[in-house]
Amino acid sequence: MTAIIRTEKLTKSYGTHRGIVDIDLEVIENEIFGFLGPNGAGKTTTIRTVLDLIRPTSGKAFVFGIESSVDPIAIHRRIGYIPGEFALYDRLTGAQHIEYFANLRGGVDPGYQAALIERLDVDTSRRFKEYSKGNKQKIGLVIALQHRPDLLILDEPTSGLDPLVQQTFYALVHEAKAEGRTIFVSSHILSEVERTCDRVAIIRDGVLVKVDSVEGLRDLAHHQVELRFSGPVPLSEFEHLPGVSDVAADDHVLRLRVSGPITPVVRAAARYELLDFVSREPSLEETFLAQYGREAVEPGA
Amino acid sequence: MTAQAGGAPSAARGTISALSRIYGFGTVYAKTLRDSRLAFIIMAGLLGSFLLAGAAAFGEAYSTPASRADLANLVRNLPTALAGIYGSPFPVRVETLGGSLSWKTGGTLALMAGLWSVLALSGTLAVEARRGSLEFVAVTPLGSRRIAVEKLAAHLTVMGLLVMVVALTAWIGGALFHTLPGDEIPPAAAIGYGLWVGLTGLASGAVAFALAPLLGRAASAGIAGAILVGGYMLNGYQASVPAFAGLANLTWFGWTVRHTPLAGEYDWVSLVPVALVAVALFVVGVEAFARRDLGTTTRIPWPGFPSATLGLSGPFGRSLGERLPLALAWGIGVGLYGFVMAAASRSFAEQLDKLSPSTMRLIQTIFPNFDLTSTGAFLQLAFVLFAFIVVGFAAATLVSGWASDEGSGRLELLLTTPLARARWAVAGGAGVMAAIVIFTLVVALGVGLGATVVGGDAETPVLGTLVLGLYAAALAGIGLAVGGLFRTSIAAEAVAAVVIVTFLIDLIAPALKWPAWVHQLALTAHLGQPMIGIWDWPGMAACVAIAGGGIALSGWGINRRDVGG
Repeated sequence: MTAIIRTEKLTKSYGTHRGIVDIDLEVIENEIFGFLGPNGAGKTTTIRTVLDLIRPTSGKAFVFGIESSVDPIAIHRRIGYIPGEFALYDRLTGAQHIEYFANLRGGVDPGYQAALIERLDVDTSRRFKEYSKGNKQKIGLVIALQHRPDLLILDEPTSGLDPLVQQTFYALVHEAKAEGRTIFVSSHILSEVERTCDRVAIIRDGVLVKVDSVEGLRDLAHHQVELRFSGPVPLSEFEHLPGVSDVAADDHVLRLRVSGPITPVVRAAARYELLDFVSREPSLEETFLAQYGREAVEPGA
Repeated sequence: MTAQAGGAPSAARGTISALSRIYGFGTVYAKTLRDSRLAFIIMAGLLGSFLLAGAAAFGEAYSTPASRADLANLVRNLPTALAGIYGSPFPVRVETLGGSLSWKTGGTLALMAGLWSVLALSGTLAVEARRGSLEFVAVTPLGSRRIAVEKLAAHLTVMGLLVMVVALTAWIGGALFHTLPGDEIPPAAAIGYGLWVGLTGLASGAVAFALAPLLGRAASAGIAGAILVGGYMLNGYQASVPAFAGLANLTWFGWTVRHTPLAGEYDWVSLVPVALVAVALFVVGVEAFARRDLGTTTRIPWPGFPSATLGLSGPFGRSLGERLPLALAWGIGVGLYGFVMAAASRSFAEQLDKLSPSTMRLIQTIFPNFDLTSTGAFLQLAFVLFAFIVVGFAAATLVSGWASDEGSGRLELLLTTPLARARWAVAGGAGVMAAIVIFTLVVALGVGLGATVVGGDAETPVLGTLVLGLYAAALAGIGLAVGGLFRTSIAAEAVAAVVIVTFLIDLIAPALKWPAWVHQLALTAHLGQPMIGIWDWPGMAACVAIAGGGIALSGWGINRRDVGG
């Protein structure tokens, strides 16, 4: 499998301020790769370093096998990018922006461009300064997508989009993947990453803490298990089982958290009359928050 | 489990310190005052140094009664057009330190204070509304009127402080640099002058404040700025151009033309209508802000530019297309001024004819290389000094537009296309230079038309105007180099600083008899006397080299640093 993006000990420092530290990342061809982290974790710094907008303090970044600081133009020819925050020319209309960036890139298929405009439901006749936040984002998406780039780098791409347009965006991303292209999506919206991505990297305080498939990350989480028995059961039967913690009894109901295989709990419970067994699959959000040492907030809590 | 509201932040419990309410983050007033501190420091430094430098130069140059008598005689016999070039059409007691300051510097300081007030009051609400921060303020329990009043009060406070600085430096200038009896500037004169500077400045700013909620920042600043500069010019030249006198009486400069406290003449009553106009416009501004939809402005109908001029084909065209409206606006403004001045040259020549032979001889000793009856000579005397400053600031604003690619975040998108950093910088810089060419040609057109209208020689002044363009290009080159090498956010400021320092060196170094090399540091000392055809070829070549070098350095520098860093 070909690595489309590869970083080696990529580090960026801003004087006394932390940037990113020793980021080792590999994004494989034709995958949708999610880059997850809270605000200020280092997502945008990583992207800007990979794109040679800022230069690494140490380490290297390669895109399409080309070191980003050696030949950024060769990389830029094959990518589409939407920054997390951007501004364009106030006096130009949406259509004029799309035309300008098409001219800068060259080789844009007018039919595909028109289809994108229609699907994203953009009114391109208005001046940029007159657009709402969501409409500005749509213009940015057309600019990023219109030349069918081999690699899409999208920094919080659904920011400001309404749910219908978000659906269109997800469809466009999946179509890009179906066409063999690669997508790198930075986000702090967990549900977005969960539903869109094949693999996810989590960055925290400038350090990459985990890279795994979405399913793999979910498995990291503690299962929240609830056992309802016909009569009282001794807590000690469960407290010392491997991977079990936070055991609490409420009448005949036992609640516990299980990390790793759930089989020992099932075997122990089978020795009593079990009326009900509920094991909730962890969401990526819970996994993510667990990585940050916080519990997921239960609805209604 | 039930959710509990956390404790209210301490600020909400009414524990804002008295200091924070005045300066800091305790109130809208305090925050606005804090935001104004840098502008105030710059303005106080500029106005104060102008006054002190002017006083020092006068004391050095005219230290004997005989030299004072010569000066008085010269100014008395100067053609009125020339007497008005500093914005003060009726010089009084120029043989005294205060009278000379009032004539040569007095109007300039009022103009600068007015421009500052226009920029500050056109943007204090409109800029915040545009960037969205005003919405956060507007949904606090503060009413719209209170927000507007607090913002306004903060500007009135800094203007009040500026008045104090002006009065204090005028008084100190008189105390330090008086060389003959009558040079001292009494406190009442200093205060009277400071008040005049502050009130005329506020009146101009009030126009912008009243219009900003209706028209937005740019249009309101443009209209108020035109009223300010137009009023200043009409007043300055009302003595030499009779047609201006009637119009000058409609301006606050005209109302207060006899209030020259530094020269010992007081007309306190004339300040009252200026204050009343300012207050009335402030009320209009507050009410307009309170009654209109937040951030909604009315666009002044203006012919749009053809789409071909937008420059969508590449970075050079885009840079030029983006700068074109501003270049044309500057060109039309300065060109109009050049037209009026060139057209007024005949009146100047006619008045020269009326002078006695002895006065003519005196004038010719002061201006030995000038055929004072030519259009070019009048322009060299009355237009070039002002034009150097204006084209400098035009260059600064054009560089600022180039720099906004990076400041606004556009550059991040542009540079992730196959557009190389150096190409962006060089093509963008070339676009700035092309805009300066267009600006210069429009100014040259105005000057040429003015000279032609009065039947004077148009060719030399038109060619001379191109030297102004070279100066602007050199300044832009400095800005581009600073932007490329360091940060684009300081590029325009660097240009403005060079303009001001150059002007001050050019003004002060000869007067204070500083070493020649100090005066040579000013680029304007190397441009000859272009309006009368005296060319300084090495200086002009240096301008071209600085412009080209600046573009090259910009391309080299941007390759070496982080974008947006």
